[in-house]
Amino acid sequence: MKALKYDPLDIVVTGVGGQGNVLASQVLGRALLDAGYQVTVGETYGLSQRGGSVMSQVRVSSGPVLGPMMPDHRATAIISLEPLEALRLVGTYGHPGVVVLTNDRPLRPQGVLAGEQAYPEPQELRATLEGLCAKLYWLPATAAALKLGNHILANVVLLGALCALDLLPIGAEQVEAALAAMFPEDKMAPNREALAKGLALVREV
Amino acid sequence: MVLPAAPFAPQPTGLERLLAEVINPGLCVACGACLGLCPHLIFLDGQVAAPDPCGLTSGRCWDLCPVAQRGGPGAAQGPIGPVLGAWQGRATARDLEGRAQYGGVVSELLALALEQALVQEAVVTAAGPRGAPQGLRVSGRSGVLGAAGSIYAGGGALGELNRALAEDACHPLAVVGLPCQIQALGAMRAHPDYPQTLERIHLVIGLFCTMNLPWRGVRDLLARHGVQAPLSRADFPPPPAGIFQVWSGGAYHELPLDQVRAISYPGCAGCADLTSEGADLSVGACEGKPGWNTILARTHAGAGLLELAAGKGLLELEPAQPASLEHLNQAAIAKRKRAAAWSEERRHG
Amino acid sequence: MADVSKLIPGQKVLLQGNEAIARGALEAGVALAAAYPGNPSSEILQTLADSAHSAGIYVEWSTNEKVALESAAAASYAGLRGMASMKQNGVNVAQDFICNLTISGTQGGIVLVTCDDPSGVSSTNEEDARFIARVACLPLLEPATPAECLSMMKLAFELSEQIGNLVVLRGLARLSHTRAGVVPGPLPESKRRPRWDPSQRWFTIPVVPRHQAMLDKLAKAGEIMGAAGVNYYDGPQRPELLVVASGSSRLYADEARRMLEAGERVGILHLGATWPLDQELILEHLARADKILFAEEVDPHLEGGVKSIYAQHVRELGIKDFFGQDTGHKPPVGELSPSRVAAALADILGLPWQEVDPAYQEKAQVAQALVAPRQVGFCPGCPHRASYWSMKQVLAADGREGIVSGDIGCYTLGVLPTGYQRVNAVHCMGSGPGIASGLGKLRDQGFGQPVISVVGDSTFFHAALPALVNARWNNSDYVLVVLDNSATAMTGFQPHPGTGATAMGQAGTVVDVEQVCAGLGLPYAVVDPYDLEATQEALYDALQIGGGLRVLIFRRLCALVQNKQGGHPWSISVDPELCRGEDCGCHRFCTRVFRCPGLVFDEATGKATVDEVVCVGCGVCAQICPAGAIKARPKEATA
Repeated sequence: MKALKYDPLDIVVTGVGGQGNVLASQVLGRALLDAGYQVTVGETYGLSQRGGSVMSQVRVSSGPVLGPMMPDHRATAIISLEPLEALRLVGTYGHPGVVVLTNDRPLRPQGVLAGEQAYPEPQELRATLEGLCAKLYWLPATAAALKLGNHILANVVLLGALCALDLLPIGAEQVEAALAAMFPEDKMAPNREALAKGLALVREV
Repeated sequence: MVLPAAPFAPQPTGLERLLAEVINPGLCVACGACLGLCPHLIFLDGQVAAPDPCGLTSGRCWDLCPVAQRGGPGAAQGPIGPVLGAWQGRATARDLEGRAQYGGVVSELLALALEQALVQEAVVTAAGPRGAPQGLRVSGRSGVLGAAGSIYAGGGALGELNRALAEDACHPLAVVGLPCQIQALGAMRAHPDYPQTLERIHLVIGLFCTMNLPWRGVRDLLARHGVQAPLSRADFPPPPAGIFQVWSGGAYHELPLDQVRAISYPGCAGCADLTSEGADLSVGACEGKPGWNTILARTHAGAGLLELAAGKGLLELEPAQPASLEHLNQAAIAKRKRAAAWSEERRHG
Repeated sequence: MADVSKLIPGQKVLLQGNEAIARGALEAGVALAAAYPGNPSSEILQTLADSAHSAGIYVEWSTNEKVALESAAAASYAGLRGMASMKQNGVNVAQDFICNLTISGTQGGIVLVTCDDPSGVSSTNEEDARFIARVACLPLLEPATPAECLSMMKLAFELSEQIGNLVVLRGLARLSHTRAGVVPGPLPESKRRPRWDPSQRWFTIPVVPRHQAMLDKLAKAGEIMGAAGVNYYDGPQRPELLVVASGSSRLYADEARRMLEAGERVGILHLGATWPLDQELILEHLARADKILFAEEVDPHLEGGVKSIYAQHVRELGIKDFFGQDTGHKPPVGELSPSRVAAALADILGLPWQEVDPAYQEKAQVAQALVAPRQVGFCPGCPHRASYWSMKQVLAADGREGIVSGDIGCYTLGVLPTGYQRVNAVHCMGSGPGIASGLGKLRDQGFGQPVISVVGDSTFFHAALPALVNARWNNSDYVLVVLDNSATAMTGFQPHPGTGATAMGQAGTVVDVEQVCAGLGLPYAVVDPYDLEATQEALYDALQIGGGLRVLIFRRLCALVQNKQGGHPWSISVDPELCRGEDCGCHRFCTRVFRCPGLVFDEATGKATVDEVVCVGCGVCAQICPAGAIKARPKEATA
């Protein structure tokens, strides 16, 4: 069992209800548990399917059992399926050393769609996030997923991207194995492609 | 200390103000001028409502509203407005009897205008399937006959006109309306954002207005008297009758006039126009001659149509009796005075 | 959910807290499990339902929580093990039965699982259901991890059988929805044969001696739980501060102690059994430290109980300082977190505590100005949006200041902008028709406002029926609108009496809303809320009639279920030539007022557009566009 570079390793996975956030955190949790680590995945999805913000926390340690909620401002990484949600959680879990990995595709909140609130310009959002983290990965995950045939694959694209960073004690093949344990084999081809695409996106950066 | 000047904030001229000054205080008379222009104003069962704020500070709904735009002195031409010729008459065709109001002149003139293709459609008010009056577009004699007769309740018919004007079409239209509606038509024709009204409205027939009623009030009053809606016809016989006559499902009923007055639109109290002064032709009951209409031709177009109808033998026409005209004048003066007093009272609280 | 009966004993797997509760019940040999869906508890019964066939047990979605617990009691009286799971609100529904069951006693092991929801993430309240243990004198277990969920369920069944009374296991939303490693044990090898010995009678009189027997059972339960090892101390021999904690707060306290590097100064008394409190254990550990902090969610259950024990023993224990809700070291509302406990520890121990560099903190706070709130709303294509749209339009047109009495389900969101804030009151399951029933009887005293009560199809059966019978009986004047989306959508599409399917996937008997209405002698009509004109006409007419209770059933399948069953028929687009944009005559009517997330206003062009990733093609928006610019074309034609 490889030693954890960060112990505890605290990864926040966030997005908007319906984006496959819970699934992404489950896959990650399962892969890490199978690799022998102490894993706690905390999920918050009260009204997730109704357009609200959704967050999961994947907490990994080599020692004590961790609670379902991480302390504020201690996340190792924030993975976000929606860029505004990344900034929202940086406010709670961010610190100068946090790594942020986000999809660049906005999903406008209801109040923005109704013209009551503003959604920041992409450049402003990106620059703000950059100023609040050690490293920002601003990735076209939805665009990549749509090319693979389904926007829902953006979550797996981001998992692939996470595997390309030097944060996890496991590799993409272990994440793929966890996916394979949760999906029937005939659904695995697009998932494999999405993982590979995510890895490639980070390497291009 | 010198206070800085307050920033110039023009009063809004849109839905928000229409709600505040006309609809919410209960002054709307359901002419329909604000309807059919946008989705924010709706009309159901004889009543105008605005479920949501539209968010704009100006709009045609305010500009066209005859209650909102009221307040100036009456037209300069005298109590019954401009008149080229005053007649009394009735339709000769018998298919109108018992359906049309008084002499059936309005229905006959409309049918003629449609037959002669002077206009292609006419916007009128008629009882809908469940009794509530509503705007209706008719395009031939049978349609006109179906809509003949008044039930004296606001039907928002100008909303139907607005919808017709919004269509990608250019055919000429006729409108039949009450004085409030004829006033709104004037505002439409003068509105810079509504050029098609000038081009497409070729004939305006105005009605004399003695009393206009909110449909829901009428319906509840009828229910109290055990009368089933829809009404086929309604009428105010001249004083001193003191009754409101209604026909429903072949049965005839009389309702006490004071009960009817009690439910009439409060917003009508400020109206100074008895005879639809802005119309091409104005038509109403002929005082002292039951079954006949008084007809005022106000424009050459109106006079021309009347002449054509008489020439074809569709109308039986006589010059209006001076006594009858004098009676109309007095009634118009009285209405102006009541309106002026009402406006004055409102100004002072 | 997964079939947890197939897990291999001894092999560690990632299980959700709720799945671990289900597995624990199976390992304890549960024979009947029943529940009414309610987040955060719903996955417990769903998991058991998905495991029922292979485990050979009976699992039921019941019409409500009280019925669920009564079913579980039936299993107990037949000598089997039974359980009922529910959210905290459900405990209130079941309370009348609980408070009598505890006097009559039970036979086979019976467990009530309540999943509380501190902060009310998916609830209308954040009630602490531990009160039921005190009120009904029941043993209470509070696990902290999925592994404890499993082991404490087994303990709960054993305990129940040993004392002959119901046992309560209290979960929490965070725990229910936490996944962690769990090592399953073996499933029982044999099954009991159900039989109710006819000489056995279960009732509550004479009350006083039976009440005494109930208290004796509780005392016995305390002894058994004390010996079970679910309460333990972790820390130095003589800590400066003792934290008394239960549930997830135990883990938060542990983590806070680590973050503050205060392992030498802080001890934690982990309480897995929190009613009755183990007096001996508490006295033993109170003696260790002079400062005591309580960490628990939501009510000061431990705080009150421990202080009460202390009060009786103050002479031998000496002066202590207690910290908790009474001193502001534990919030009286909302959930706890490691950071909150750390702040309390730091304050009590006089340690510096800084979560993050203040300059960073300030920068991050300033950046939050860019982050618009993400308010929840109805899904794209949700029939409730169409239903509330029609209610809003009709009530405005009606003009008599109509009132909408709301209820519990997805349609509760009618209080928010997504439902045009058209709901005037929401409380608990079935309260809507009850309030409406009262309003409808104020007519003689001059209450002229029309009244609509909205209930979902599942709520209709859960708790609305008595209120409807009441309204029918007393001739109350209102319109009941049944928002029938043929699903218990809010909690995960569980079946209910109106759908006829059962928890175990077999065909039950459809209990038809129309037949119920007909049986009550209520006039009713069915409309499709997607057809705005027909819906509005029907509703307007229903409001005008007056005189008694009448019913409209707005029937249209939940959009999410429809998506799974092949989707909606339309492909939606906006003709930019026809779209009026921000001009008078529209002013963003579809995006600003109708507010379906599938419609986006393009600021650059000043026209509405359709977000193809979000839009599901229900076609309702095409009916409200004043310019006919929103086009709904059959999907095949555009594919």
